[in-house]
Amino acid sequence: MRIRSAGVAAALALALAAAGCGGDDEPTASESPRAAGGTLVIWADDKRTAALKPFAEKFGQANGVTVEVQAVANDVLQSNFVTASQQGSGPDIVVGAHDWIGNLVQNGAIDPIQLSAGQRDAYHPTALKAVTFGGQVYGVPYAMENLALIRNTELAPQAPSTIEELVATGKRLKADRKVSEVLCLQVGQNGDAYHIYPLYSSAGGTLFGTTPTGDYDPKVLGVGTPDSIAAFKKIAALGEKGEGVLKRSITAENSISLFTDRKCAFLVSGPWATTDIKKAGLAYDVTPVPGFAGAGPARPFVGVQAFYVAAKGQNKAVAQEFVANYVSTPDLAVALYQADPRPPALTAALDQVRGADPDLAKFLDAGRDGAVLPAIPAMAAVWDPFGKAEAAIIGGADPAATITSAGRTIADQIK
Amino acid sequence: MDNHELGAGPAGPVPHRSEDPTVVAPDDAPRRRPVRPHRPAVTATALAVRAVLLGLIVGIAVWAAFPLVDAEAWVGLALLVAATAGLCHLYLTRRHVPAKYLVPGTLFLLAFQVFPVLYTVGTAFTNFGDGHRGSKHDAIVAIQTASVTQVPGSPEYALAVATTGDPATGPLVFLLTDPATGAVSAGDATGLRRLPPEEVTVGPDGRVTAAEGYTLLTVGQAGARSEEITNLAVPTAEGAIRSAGLSRAYEGRALRTYDADCDCIRDATTGKMWTADPELGAFVAADGERLAQGWKVGVGFQNLTRVVTDPNISGPFLRTLVWNLCFAAGSAGGTFVLGLLCALVLHSPRMRGRTLYRVLLILPYAMPSFAMLLVWRDMFNTDFGLINNLLGIHVDWFGGAWSARAAVLVVQLWLGFPYMFLVATGALQAIPAQLTEAAAVDGASPWQAFRRITLPLLLVALSPLLIASFAFNFNNFNAIYLTTDGAPFPADNPTVGATDLLITYTYRLAFGGQGAQYGFAAAISIFIFTLVALISAVTFRRTRQQEEVYS
Amino acid sequence: MTTTAPPIEATDRAVGRAAGVRRGRRSWLLRVGWRHLVALLAVAFSLLPILFVVSAAVNPLGTLSSTTLVPSGGISGENFVALFERTAFGRWFVNSVLVAGLASAASVLLSTLAAYAFSRMRFRGRRVGLLSLLLIQMFPQFLAIVAIFLMFGTVTELWPALGFNTPLGLILVYLGGALGANTWLMKGFFDTLPREIDESATMDGASHVQVFLRILLPLVTPILAVTALLSFITTINEFVVASVFLTDTEAKTLAVGMYGLVDGERNNNFGMFAAGTLLTAIPTVLLFQFLQRYIVSGLAAGAVKG
Repeated sequence: MRIRSAGVAAALALALAAAGCGGDDEPTASESPRAAGGTLVIWADDKRTAALKPFAEKFGQANGVTVEVQAVANDVLQSNFVTASQQGSGPDIVVGAHDWIGNLVQNGAIDPIQLSAGQRDAYHPTALKAVTFGGQVYGVPYAMENLALIRNTELAPQAPSTIEELVATGKRLKADRKVSEVLCLQVGQNGDAYHIYPLYSSAGGTLFGTTPTGDYDPKVLGVGTPDSIAAFKKIAALGEKGEGVLKRSITAENSISLFTDRKCAFLVSGPWATTDIKKAGLAYDVTPVPGFAGAGPARPFVGVQAFYVAAKGQNKAVAQEFVANYVSTPDLAVALYQADPRPPALTAALDQVRGADPDLAKFLDAGRDGAVLPAIPAMAAVWDPFGKAEAAIIGGADPAATITSAGRTIADQIK
Repeated sequence: MDNHELGAGPAGPVPHRSEDPTVVAPDDAPRRRPVRPHRPAVTATALAVRAVLLGLIVGIAVWAAFPLVDAEAWVGLALLVAATAGLCHLYLTRRHVPAKYLVPGTLFLLAFQVFPVLYTVGTAFTNFGDGHRGSKHDAIVAIQTASVTQVPGSPEYALAVATTGDPATGPLVFLLTDPATGAVSAGDATGLRRLPPEEVTVGPDGRVTAAEGYTLLTVGQAGARSEEITNLAVPTAEGAIRSAGLSRAYEGRALRTYDADCDCIRDATTGKMWTADPELGAFVAADGERLAQGWKVGVGFQNLTRVVTDPNISGPFLRTLVWNLCFAAGSAGGTFVLGLLCALVLHSPRMRGRTLYRVLLILPYAMPSFAMLLVWRDMFNTDFGLINNLLGIHVDWFGGAWSARAAVLVVQLWLGFPYMFLVATGALQAIPAQLTEAAAVDGASPWQAFRRITLPLLLVALSPLLIASFAFNFNNFNAIYLTTDGAPFPADNPTVGATDLLITYTYRLAFGGQGAQYGFAAAISIFIFTLVALISAVTFRRTRQQEEVYS
Repeated sequence: MTTTAPPIEATDRAVGRAAGVRRGRRSWLLRVGWRHLVALLAVAFSLLPILFVVSAAVNPLGTLSSTTLVPSGGISGENFVALFERTAFGRWFVNSVLVAGLASAASVLLSTLAAYAFSRMRFRGRRVGLLSLLLIQMFPQFLAIVAIFLMFGTVTELWPALGFNTPLGLILVYLGGALGANTWLMKGFFDTLPREIDESATMDGASHVQVFLRILLPLVTPILAVTALLSFITTINEFVVASVFLTDTEAKTLAVGMYGLVDGERNNNFGMFAAGTLLTAIPTVLLFQFLQRYIVSGLAAGAVKG
């Protein structure tokens, strides 16, 4: 009998809840025009949401607009934004990586932003280049990031100038049982194109050719070419069947913790790794990722985080005002830096925090030879096959056959 | 007798059924409709409950109707009225008894499961996906907007948005200050008009702060008219002055414009032409170059035929399917056996600490599964994983096809057995004790009693669930995506790995290229769906007689 | 309580007899000891990965990955504190319990109603209905997201109280899946109850509602409790739909909120996440503790006698 009364009670409660919400609805409806300027909705991932909130609220109060910053999990942010935009339920502004631009533009989800010449000059040139797509600026950058070599200075006081030198030092430390791994560079079971790219580029490999205007050209694929085979032969020599420096068992989850556990003296990672390293109390230094001896420099990818104006936002004029004229204030850039320590793209903000955090300049320096992460939609077809080829080759597969087949797969995907 | 056996389970035939007093004899046709000799009396409470519930339904419907009327959504309103009337009718009449019980859940099912599925099936016949999401009009707007560039040498104006009338409704005017000369002009859709300097006050940033005959809009007021401001273009000789936010304006022009006569996009600087191709849903140039912004068009059966003809899909299909079946059966069967074993072990009043054991055993199910999948992936790590370290071995678990498959099944076992454990615990409780007692009295050994009475009864209760579990695991995307992601892959083919399920494989094909191809993904899903449906339907048929026996 | 667990007692007896031992340590071992052994092994299997989570939760270095179970950065409650200070964890927790509680209660109600009809009545379309219920669950959910956006975009405009960022709207979507596996589960149990019970009640003049409420429901109490628990767990861990639905920080559930912690690009906070994972399990464990007495109450066996 207990169940019966419980069932009836549940039904009633539900119905009442429904009716109650009906009652609540009236005030909500009259509340919405409370701020005359309507609402400005911003989507960002969790970390940035926290940093943005106070500034967004300040902007809102100063201008009589209600600003809502909403956090959307990063790996669904881009796709949810495109889908929601298409159906008119999307935000006015979205914050994300610059390599989304190609896809956002092909879906008509974002509008170009007109920056004045003065505003353009305030940004780091690489950052501005990253958000330029097809000759138009689509986003206002606020932070940059790239890989560097982080080393434990107690174990390895000298920064290696080549990979060979690094391997020699690492092996000596390993022989002395001071470390268990020569190098912590995340590979994982299915590879990691982003983290192997510095070595690949140093060995002469490319992903795409370039157009006369300096953009990436999806029609000229660099994967599967003789250059890429030669590059992967060098990588294979460092792999599990070779020197044992690159291993699939070192993954995104464990590479930083292996370094903080002092299991390796060298870590290839980005500014995001420094938080944990500082907590672990290690003495460390940040230098550029070294290239192979006698080969080109290692060119890590440079990625940029940026603000975009949604093409189908409800409040575009205010969104443009916010992105083009408010985001470019150094204070906001500094606050975002404090939420997540990546070098600010705004030169003035960078100068402001440079003194307090010497790592920033070192990371920027490590990215000086860097290649802007391709924003063309074709790049989406590269990540997966390229990574898998990398993992297979590091595991001992034949470089020529593997990378040729990866190139074929990528070419099939790029129509 | 073979009707009583389940394909999946070790169920034996049930003997002596007719001798057992508590088990119902096979249900024969005449008894399907229960006879009802007395018309049940309707109590006052029942009436009151019915009145309240119907009142609530009508109340909710009335509440829901107002916005529909406001929005003039007459079709929606008609649906609402029809649904409400239908519900009232259903619960006021004495007929349609099964429907009274089925309709509440079915309404939700139709709205939130059937509709999305049908919608998705519909997309299988389109090119819906990244670059082809909206209408042709959307694509044209996007192309034109993306090509708007600042006219070379034109000034960057400081902007103040104003009106000659009421801030909320009056006609909008851009008050523009040329930073070089300091000259102020008023611009609207008809063009630019110079304002006499004595009539305007300009702030330190160059923006107009007051002007005779104009009311300046605050950001809030401007925000309320955002769309009008964005759409306002002040025509000039070279192009048009548009706002860039609320404090700056620039003179720009669209380099690419749509020409309805040739149904094409023209580039003003190069003269290049892209003609609309209604089959592709894209603007295509003579040299084959396509503009990225396309639109959604119907493509007929193209996606479906591609599933069959594309060697990338049809090639590894059979092998993947076989593993997928093994994976689903292994997951469902393994968790069932372990769950049942745990339930049986704890199903003894003499056992101390049962409550604690039960709590500990359901813990794996209480943890968010995606987190635990990542933990398991780490535990299988070759060099640093706990499993290799504990066992003192060095197995490259995800590197070999069979070891990876075994690993994935172990993870599935861990994730799923608490579910089966819980259900089996409940099921054991629900089995009438007399049955097994009677068997014991008849001299059956406990093992026989279990095998012949408890287990078959358990299977009646649980076999539908085993089918459901099989079906769920057949498409268990996360289980693979978050652990091996299909690994290991053959070196020469990065598209299909040894542990790939059809669903993870589909995902890679449809979302791995230049953005998401929903239409294509939906087409593959239809194939997979049909396949699982066939398998389930066949299995389901076999349970028919068995169900009738016991019900 | 002679009615609980007869088959197993019988099994014990047999095992005892086979060994020829009636009393003493050996007998205990055979009757109960092996049960403890099996249970302990199962518990070890179920707890091992969870120990990793515990280790990560107390490790201030915030890593989910370690070669040992000992936290590399020492032990501290830092992650738990950070969870409450830096995120709206408390709020997420309340939202989750609210959504999962209401959704599972309503879902049990709906599926029990349907299961009763499917098990006890014969009508046209019954088998097809059952099969369709199963099949509809098999459609890949990540494809349905687009349709849900489409639908709730309109709903949000018309009825903001049911739209995006409202718990009620999310509960409605969850109820769409209520009939799926739950109906099958419940129906299986209704099927095990002898037909005579309700037929004799009908003879005595009970209406179908009375048969359902007074006779059958008490008999399936254990499975109602099991279904409620399963439904609660599924809802509290649901991510795909919730992540589309809830973007407002205050409206989020635990699954959505916590997923955001680990998925910052290449910058994961596993420590806080692990701490949150452990706290998430608390309501489930409490609910299970509460429901256990219904699950193992033996009500069913007792009632059949009447």
